Amino acid sequence: MKISIDLTVNGERHQVDTTPWITLLELLRETLHLTGTKEGCGLGECGSCIVLVDGRPVNSCLMLAVDARGRQITTIEGLVSNGDLHPLQQSFIEKGAVQCGFCTPAMILSAKALLDENPDAGEEEIKQTLSGIICRCGNYKKIIEAVRTASDGKADS
Amino acid sequence: MNRLKPFAYFEPTTLPEAIEILAAKKGAAFPLAGGTDLLVRMKRGVIKPSTIVNLKRIEGLDQIKKEPGRGVRIGALATFSAIEDSHLLRLSHPVIAQAVSVLACPSIRNLATMGGNIGRASPASDAAPFLMILGATVSLKGPQGERELGMGEIFSGPGTTASRPAEAITSLLLPDMASHSGAAYLKIGRREGMDCALAGVAALVTFSGGKREAEDTKIALSAVAPVPMRAKKAEKTILSGRLTEKCIREAAKVASEEISPVSDMRASASYRREVVRVLTYRALMTALQQAREG
Ligand SMILES: Cc1cc2nc3c(=O)[nH]c(=O)nc-3n(C[C@H](O)[C@H](O)[C@H](O)COP(=O)(O)OP(=O)(O)OC[C@H]3O[C@@H](n4cnc5c(N)ncnc54)[C@H](O)[C@@H]3O)c2cc1C
Ligand code: FES
Ligand code: FES
Repeated sequence: MKISIDLTVNGERHQVDTTPWITLLELLRETLHLTGTKEGCGLGECGSCIVLVDGRPVNSCLMLAVDARGRQITTIEGLVSNGDLHPLQQSFIEKGAVQCGFCTPAMILSAKALLDENPDAGEEEIKQTLSGIICRCGNYKKIIEAVRTASDGKADS
Repeated sequence: MNRLKPFAYFEPTTLPEAIEILAAKKGAAFPLAGGTDLLVRMKRGVIKPSTIVNLKRIEGLDQIKKEPGRGVRIGALATFSAIEDSHLLRLSHPVIAQAVSVLACPSIRNLATMGGNIGRASPASDAAPFLMILGATVSLKGPQGERELGMGEIFSGPGTTASRPAEAITSLLLPDMASHSGAAYLKIGRREGMDCALAGVAALVTFSGGKREAEDTKIALSAVAPVPMRAKKAEKTILSGRLTEKCIREAAKVASEEISPVSDMRASASYRREVVRVLTYRALMTALQQAREG
């Protein structure tokens, strides 16, 4: 059972053939070869597969690819613009918020969604936003610090 | 990769069409809403549906709107994020945004729907307790037409609802809250939000004019019985006299005694009892505070 879908990934329109049982995660990694999005558990529990759908974070392992039809998807590959890193990517590097890097795409994309909506999000909101993502390296402190550096941080001061 | 096994797939654009497909497949077809439960159980191999009926392309099933004179209607396909962000609900039923903020995490809430939560009929649902204290009714539609069930009737056992074959949940109606009311939902899990509740308690207090005796109270519990339940004995304790701190303390004890918790890998039955006592006390105190201010 083939279904043809239209979706926009990182600003680029794609028309792809898929089957109903393919998840958005599989489509991104295996059809579009965007391997920045990771699978940890495949069951919604670890958050490493998070991408933005119409600007909001969702677990791509629990979304059928057919439900991405007509939607705007942003993956970690889409954050660089004209060769420049996104401010969050920059601050993750500067603060040492990346260890093995497996959780990083999900952390950065979720933080981006938060800061796009609320540029001066404080620590509590940052923690809430990232609460569904497990960092196996236990690097939470630096991750939160990196997001705070990228936010205006007015909410805390 | 954790993959799904192939299935036949339908994407109806109207409710009658969806019901027709569900009826034709006689129990082998599952409706799909947010998928945060269904796809997980399929990947784990707990269920093996031969047919999936995706409800998300049906227009209008995700609306949240005022129903003048009756309350607020939440469409079955409304996501918990939409519910949490709804300005209307924040004003009409503030306990909902508070409760939803401890349901899973933001990325799951962007997918998970209210109808899916009821459809799952989990004993540990975080939505059932607040729906119970608010007196919500569930609207269903099936081959035989439409009907409504109260929250006290909708669950028939752990993981099963009282819905008939090929019936879909279409919406929930939340009656407006009485004035001088307050409500709260509290939950304890091992991993904040993300974990199933070890115990969850929703409490509602409504004062009469004098603000000494409670005119109404409702207490609903999750994860401590085969289905989410009302703590009716504890409610009676609250309604039996002046609403003092001592009375709330007593009601919390009564609640912890009227439940039938199990011991499992998450917690022992006696721990759950203790948690229910503490959470009931706190939820009632918070509801009381709000009711005094309201
Ligand atoms: C990581 C994680 C954390 C979670 N944390 C929580 C939590 O803290 N609290 C909590 O309560 N839940 C939690 N859940 C469970 C789940 O997210 C919720 O129960 C959610 O509300 C299910 O909704 P859904 O739209 O995703 O349902 P789906 O997965 O689409 O469907 C669930 C079931 O209901 C049926 N169904 C769906 N829609 C309808 C309808 N309109 N009519 C009839 N039947 C229908 C489906 O066939 C299926 O059997 C969690 C899940 C995950 C993966
Ligand atoms: S891979 Fe999707 S949540 Fe773990
Ligand atoms: S940096 Fe290794 S998982 Fe987070």
